[in-house]
Amino acid sequence: MRRSRLPIWITVGAMVFFYLPIAILVVNSFNASRFGTGWQGFSLRWYAQLLHEPEIWLAARNSLLIAVGATALSVVLGTAAAFALHRFGRSRLQRFHYALVYMPLVVPEILMGISLLMAFAATGVGLGLGTIFLAHVTFCVSFVAMTVLARLQDFDDAVVEAARDLGAGWRVTFRRVVLPMIAPGIAAGALLAFTLSIDDFVITFFVAGPGSTTLPIRIYSMIKFGSPPLINALSSILLLVTFTAVILSQRISSPRR
Amino acid sequence: MRKIVPVLAALAAATAVSACGKADPTLHIYTWADYFKPDIVRRFESVRSCRVVIDTFDSNESMYAKLKAGASGYDLLTPSSYMVSLMHAQGMLRPIDRALVPNLVHVDPEYLKTAVDGTMDHSVPYMISNTGIAYLRSRVADFVPSWAMFGRADLKGRMTLLNDMRETIGAGLKFLGYSLNTTNERELEAARDVILGWRANIAKFENEQYKTGLASGEFLLVHGYSGDILQVRKENPDIAFALPLEGAALSVDDLVIPVTAKEAALAHAFIDFLHDPAVAAENTAFLGYLCPNLESYGLLPPALRNDPAVFIDPELRAKSEVIKDLEAANALYVRIWDEIKSAK
Repeated sequence: MRRSRLPIWITVGAMVFFYLPIAILVVNSFNASRFGTGWQGFSLRWYAQLLHEPEIWLAARNSLLIAVGATALSVVLGTAAAFALHRFGRSRLQRFHYALVYMPLVVPEILMGISLLMAFAATGVGLGLGTIFLAHVTFCVSFVAMTVLARLQDFDDAVVEAARDLGAGWRVTFRRVVLPMIAPGIAAGALLAFTLSIDDFVITFFVAGPGSTTLPIRIYSMIKFGSPPLINALSSILLLVTFTAVILSQRISSPRR
Repeated sequence: MRKIVPVLAALAAATAVSACGKADPTLHIYTWADYFKPDIVRRFESVRSCRVVIDTFDSNESMYAKLKAGASGYDLLTPSSYMVSLMHAQGMLRPIDRALVPNLVHVDPEYLKTAVDGTMDHSVPYMISNTGIAYLRSRVADFVPSWAMFGRADLKGRMTLLNDMRETIGAGLKFLGYSLNTTNERELEAARDVILGWRANIAKFENEQYKTGLASGEFLLVHGYSGDILQVRKENPDIAFALPLEGAALSVDDLVIPVTAKEAALAHAFIDFLHDPAVAAENTAFLGYLCPNLESYGLLPPALRNDPAVFIDPELRAKSEVIKDLEAANALYVRIWDEIKSAK
């Protein structure tokens, strides 16, 4: 029986469509040409020049600080939310809770950005790293909760009962039984939250205040007056970080061999 | 859990650091990326013993949207002049206190005649750039700095005009000797016919690829922004830039202080510092745009002074104009532009 070649070609086409632009960007970041007007030889000068851009490093520091902080808090809140949803999923309150947690996944980012900014402005909260942190936690919680919830759905509740039967208190049960079993889900959710936070532009743009420019905002504003190959080099580094986090998250969340 | 606490503490500390600084006042500037020479900013910091924090935006519109939605904390902005008009109309800008900015006497009076805010009531001009014609010296014979170049048969198919309604209709209007802010229908129709003639002669209307196309020799002559041309010229020294003798479009970014500014006095001081002739000349040399500061012109290095991509001849500048927001008359331009783009 001959299998159709069509799926292969569609796959190849889609991969080219997705990854060719990224490949071009990465290749160009090693191009000696200042303007990308054709290949003028391999060069690391753009990466070297990055070292002398203090504002870029400040933006990178802001991005990392927020990503780490937002990940940490959203892991705690997201995991707790997932537990509540899993344990009491049938109740009316939890169905409402589920809708609330699900909302940030479907609400357009620009809407979320503007509404958060208006909320901060109305309550007199000064914009800055703190508001970016809060905004990031808001959407990261949902992603963590969904990832952990998926893990909990495969969870065998009988194991918990067995532990309790054998005399473990709820604290010990949680630490020695439940946590190790759902840890991969939590880790995957954390890495997902980290990648989303470090890349986010739209929401961050609105809630950023004086002195809290993050890396994506900096890159975007460099397009008008900045040096294009410098942006390529910076984006390549950011891509590397993101891809590493995504691959790690997949490794961790895939079923144990 | 235990790992999270130090992270949160670090975050809180960082927020606290950015929020404090009561001893040293902090000037918060919201601007385009790389729009001030870093050394100038550092000097201002030590002269005034303050801190300067620069945040960046990518377009006038996104900056406006953000401020309009309630973002505050910025003391100085650098929008383009059409956006300044809009923000002023909405009451978002503070009037400039002339007493705090003595250096404003150096601002070029010839420029102010064409400016949108000619009396510097709520804005001070910062940098001017202009559109013009760039070409390859070795490939274009008998170059004349005129919009008429776009009618030259020997360059057919190797030229581009900007894909920008106001810029390109403006070029046609200037070629005919009209104002590029005209709302006269007959003048606009005459400009349309001129551009239709050029259209048959050019390769395409193009806003981005013209830079690389010119550098690689695909195009021989292009209508473009001086800032872009300066960048590609570093790659291909054969590229030359000229301002058409009929005049061209100027675009200006202004220094403005939003009503929400906390450090308005410091913002005034920074404006004053930027218009110190020596500082203005240094900034012009660094950015490749022209700070319209009359006393600074004499301090520019001769190479810049003679570069039409940076220093616009005063006579030509008198013929050039800033593109203004025409409100209702915009519809007329849209119609003319549609007729140009859709003609067979």
